[in-house]
Amino acid sequence: MKYKGYVTLKIFALLVLNDALDAVAQLFLKKGVIQTGITSVTFGNVWEFIARNASSPFVLAGIFIGLANYFLWFVILYRIDLSVAMPVGSTIYIFVPFMSIFFLNEHVSALRWTAIILIIIGIHLVAKSKELPKGLA
Amino acid sequence: MLKVVLLVFLAELWNTAGQVLFKKGTNAIEVRSLRGVKNHLVFLKEIMAKPAVWLGFGSMAAGLVIWFIALAGADLSVVSPMGSMQYIIILIAAHFLLGEKINFLKLTGTLLVVLGIVLLSLS
Repeated sequence: MKYKGYVTLKIFALLVLNDALDAVAQLFLKKGVIQTGITSVTFGNVWEFIARNASSPFVLAGIFIGLANYFLWFVILYRIDLSVAMPVGSTIYIFVPFMSIFFLNEHVSALRWTAIILIIIGIHLVAKSKELPKGLA
Repeated sequence: MLKVVLLVFLAELWNTAGQVLFKKGTNAIEVRSLRGVKNHLVFLKEIMAKPAVWLGFGSMAAGLVIWFIALAGADLSVVSPMGSMQYIIILIAAHFLLGEKINFLKLTGTLLVVLGIVLLSLS
């Protein structure tokens, strides 16, 4: 494998997909848990809470997407270093603010812009951090 | 406050252990290629056969439980910037436990991501 270890466009796309699916799974889980109608879990209703979650299509979909996402993460880890995959896989911190800017017309402070730009530069640097073998550089 | 910080740190240690075990699992796999559905199924089968991966899931679960306990008694404005500490712990663990190299680009990049996430949580 010629490019093993390098963050190729394909690996980057997988990392972005991994992030996005993680967000989707969490939304499904949250929707399912809210739909149980139970706002505080006590010893008295914990079994009812579990039973309602276990029969919720949203919770099951969330769990399924979450598990599929782990498979994706293993494929990513198979290809690149853990210490590269972690920071580069933080694109969610860029996309969520961007989406809230474009779709929700949220006001973005200078501090938030600074943060987004720092994360983009950071991801770029980590993605480029693997040194090329001698002679190729 | 101190209790929350310690709990979050503990949860992150368990998460890190999980990720390191996952990486140990994938490092131990030798698949010739990852092209096509069949090869991916072989990959999945090999992953599932690695004890390190299952230990990793166990560590992740422990981390999640501690994380929930920490969240229950905590102010989110304290906990969410602390989440970015995970990147630094992973970087150090990956270096010492997996032999992954730390160079100037990786260190600077990781620190920028951490700083960015802390700023986002403050904004």
